[in-house]
Amino acid sequence: MNGITSALDRIGILTAEQREHWKIAWLSTVDHKRIGILYLVTALVFFVIGGIEAMLIRLQLSVPNNTLLHPDTYNMLFTMHGTTMIFLVAMPAIFGLANYFVPLQIGARDMAFPRLNAFGFWLVPLGGMLLHFSFLAGGAPAVGWFSYAPLSETPYSSTTGVDYWALSLLVLGIGSVGASINLIATVLTQRAPQMTLRRLPLFSWMMLINSFLVILAIPVLNAGLVMLLIDRQLNTHFFLPFGGGSAIMWQHIFWAFGHPEVYIVAIPAFAILSEIIPVFSRKPIFGYEFVAGSTVAIAILSLLVWAHHMFTVGLGHTVDLFFVASSMLIAIPTGVKVLAWSATMVGGRLRLSTPMLFCIAALAQFLLAGLTGVSHAIAALDWQTKNSYYLVAHFHFVLVGLIVFAILGALHYWFPKMSGRMLSERIGWWTFILMTLGFNMTFLTQHFLGLAGMPRRVYTYPDLPGLGWMNLVSSTGVIFMAAAALLFVWNLGRSLLRGPPAGDNPWNAWTLEWATTSPPPHENFLTLPSIHSRRPLWDYANPDRPDPPVGTTGSIDTLAPEKNSTAMMAFVISELGFFGVLILAYLFYNATPQPGPDARTLDLAKTGAFSLCLFASSFTIRRSEISLSQGNHRGLYRWLAATILLGIVFIIGQGLEYRHLMQSGITLSSNLFTASFFTLTGFHGLHVSIGLLALIVVLGLALAGDARKRDFPALKTVAIYWHFIDAVWLIVFSVIYLLPYVQ
Amino acid sequence: MTRFFLLPWTWNPAVTLSALLALAAYIIAFRVNRRIGWFAAGLVVLLFTLQSPLNTLANGYLFSAHMVQHILLLLIVPALLLLGLPRSLSLSLRPRLLGRPAAGWLAGVGAMWFWHAPVLCNAAASSRFVFALQTLSLLVLGSLFWWQILAPREEDRLSPPGAVLYLLSACVTCSVLGIIITFSPVAVCPVYTQKPAHHLPIMETLRTDWGISPQRDQQIGGLLMWVPMCLIYLAAIFAQLARWFARTPDPEAKEVS
Repeated sequence: MNGITSALDRIGILTAEQREHWKIAWLSTVDHKRIGILYLVTALVFFVIGGIEAMLIRLQLSVPNNTLLHPDTYNMLFTMHGTTMIFLVAMPAIFGLANYFVPLQIGARDMAFPRLNAFGFWLVPLGGMLLHFSFLAGGAPAVGWFSYAPLSETPYSSTTGVDYWALSLLVLGIGSVGASINLIATVLTQRAPQMTLRRLPLFSWMMLINSFLVILAIPVLNAGLVMLLIDRQLNTHFFLPFGGGSAIMWQHIFWAFGHPEVYIVAIPAFAILSEIIPVFSRKPIFGYEFVAGSTVAIAILSLLVWAHHMFTVGLGHTVDLFFVASSMLIAIPTGVKVLAWSATMVGGRLRLSTPMLFCIAALAQFLLAGLTGVSHAIAALDWQTKNSYYLVAHFHFVLVGLIVFAILGALHYWFPKMSGRMLSERIGWWTFILMTLGFNMTFLTQHFLGLAGMPRRVYTYPDLPGLGWMNLVSSTGVIFMAAAALLFVWNLGRSLLRGPPAGDNPWNAWTLEWATTSPPPHENFLTLPSIHSRRPLWDYANPDRPDPPVGTTGSIDTLAPEKNSTAMMAFVISELGFFGVLILAYLFYNATPQPGPDARTLDLAKTGAFSLCLFASSFTIRRSEISLSQGNHRGLYRWLAATILLGIVFIIGQGLEYRHLMQSGITLSSNLFTASFFTLTGFHGLHVSIGLLALIVVLGLALAGDARKRDFPALKTVAIYWHFIDAVWLIVFSVIYLLPYVQ
Repeated sequence: MTRFFLLPWTWNPAVTLSALLALAAYIIAFRVNRRIGWFAAGLVVLLFTLQSPLNTLANGYLFSAHMVQHILLLLIVPALLLLGLPRSLSLSLRPRLLGRPAAGWLAGVGAMWFWHAPVLCNAAASSRFVFALQTLSLLVLGSLFWWQILAPREEDRLSPPGAVLYLLSACVTCSVLGIIITFSPVAVCPVYTQKPAHHLPIMETLRTDWGISPQRDQQIGGLLMWVPMCLIYLAAIFAQLARWFARTPDPEAKEVS
């Protein structure tokens, strides 16, 4: 204990007083740097857990016909390994780095919403515990990280494993969306005055784009998880073909999230490469604009191409054809990036320190991953290799070869800033050698295993020619990777205790995080250098030959909107995916007639009348905003109260309708119409109720005198949300109540 | 293959005449300038869309051909025509409401959703009058949509970051409709599942030799809207990013220090 506290003291994380209260200092912190470290430590802990799961998998597969693990145990392990590595390692590690360094790079004092930040972090351990609690509660999920229906449904997975899996992913998803909304608000509203959008370091720019991708993609999964849970807990049949549902629907929802998810973890890796490669080539990045622009292209294309995960499902040649073409397009912007990084190194004076070594390996391995990726975009080839180890090799080259390597590079690069101590270069070099060797033994081999016909997701394999020794090589590689991980942890601990002091800027880097002390003080910066280009510290160190200035500060680039409404807009965008999926699912399940109740059994006139109340409330809340801008406080109170009243009337109307339906024996599990109807309107009702609570809080704040201060952003913020749920109801009402009468 | 190019070109004097008049009006108003190429290209695409075999196919044979026509009229022709206007032109939209981003966005996206309501889609494919109305409305609504991006004067256009969001949200909203059409178990535009009244021998080729069943035809139509149409928006997003990054420092804007 003494050693740890002295280490913490040494790196300046705790003052003597805080050391007495370290629990408070760490458990209740809202400082973005500490939350960043908490994220990273959590990711490291789960990396060890997911790594042990991987080692058990490889141990089982090291020889043919092995009986070490029971097939069920094997299925649980590969499910938990995949889920852990994506949601509890990659995502927290990325958010940890973003949390620590985005505010520093943009010259901000903290994230826009420090408490939301802490909330987002603490959901990670909660989600992790929920997921792993399933081991104690009757068995972990054994359905793969993709949890394909109908296998994941109650008749086929009767333990609570899948329920814990879904709950945990919901919790983690909400945390990720919260963290991303926070990052968006931070980058858009908290930048130093001269840090215009076009001067953003590529890491911050890409984390901004990535955060948009998170809020567009994760809610899609959340909607699917909710439907899966309703299926399992309330006996509906969304994804059960024998009840009229569609198992393919789950695949569409999962991959509409799952493909962007690949880029959600890959774009931060691109971001890290774009940051480290120029610094260690001692040259500015080649084609900043192209790297920044191609990130936008990758993010948008990634939303469009999920069906290439489903070539073997049988969607038909027509559908396949379009997704073959659009998937291949992704090779263009990623190729642009690879070219830009390579061109940055060409002609540079390379310093092959550990961070750079990891990045060069990541670049090379990503190139291979991209090439096998293009081969998977060809549907005909995909049919042959999809369920083989060739695909396992492909995505591990992305997830480990690119992402883990990039994160390791980033940790070696930024550790001096976080701790004030240098890591050992010698240990770092050995970490790199062992990691690269082990990784390629394990996963390069798997390409050939796959082409030799070894199927994936199966707990063992027959002793066919070649399979035995290749699997042994693949399993042996794990030992080297484990050794690298141990070396890395040792390096961290050792350097924390007695690493040489780092100074402010050990790598002669150019972005703002290096302009402050290592570790940075609580308030981040005492003074900021002036910023005229993308490399402010270069300009500061070389006043005689600064970079050409980028843009001006008088234009759209300086855009810094109000933070509360910006965050609310981002939240509204995130809700679009959620409601979008529920509405599309409703349309899909009700496109063809089915036995039992349908939309015509609903009372159009009554609900129409209650809906008018909700629509009217959009006008009343607008009136309250106008009253506030005119300084008419009584008008503000009245219109706000009217809005609350109208909302309550609408909720009562919904309650009456539900009661009426229930009394006629119509429940959620009656048929697919009732399932999709209650899910969609129920979640809308939940949103209205939360909106009402928020409105009541705002009214309370206004009555308490907050509205008399200079500005009162709470009203505008809640108004955005309120207009949004009104707009959603307009669509829901048209789709459910009006559409049957149009056709 | 040749049968497709030999299919009757539907020479439509009204369309040809309006295109020629538009070109004449352009030359009288702006003379022959550097941008006339864009304008002429817009007119050529317009003539192709409305008179080539594409039009014949869209006229009751193939839903997917209709979709190509729809995309060309809504996204390509208006964009080219607006690009053809001289940058010096000070033209402002009246009433002011039409010049608002929300109006432009609703015009562009709404045109897609509105004309794919089964009743209207059917009507446009079976009545020449409704079809003419649809064509005109697509051109006008498309122009309103692109106005926010391609208006002649810089100050009428959205800022590049705003334009990216504008285009991205339009892309996503159109994709959603494309997804609905692709996976809809019922016909979106039932006219195309029946044999057209004036039956050309091409129908057998399409249905049996090429294997384009009505379901597959609708899938192609939906996918065209889902993927390539979004790529048009994506291309525009690139142009916006390029415009943003290429902006040179404005000497008059002052540095905040």
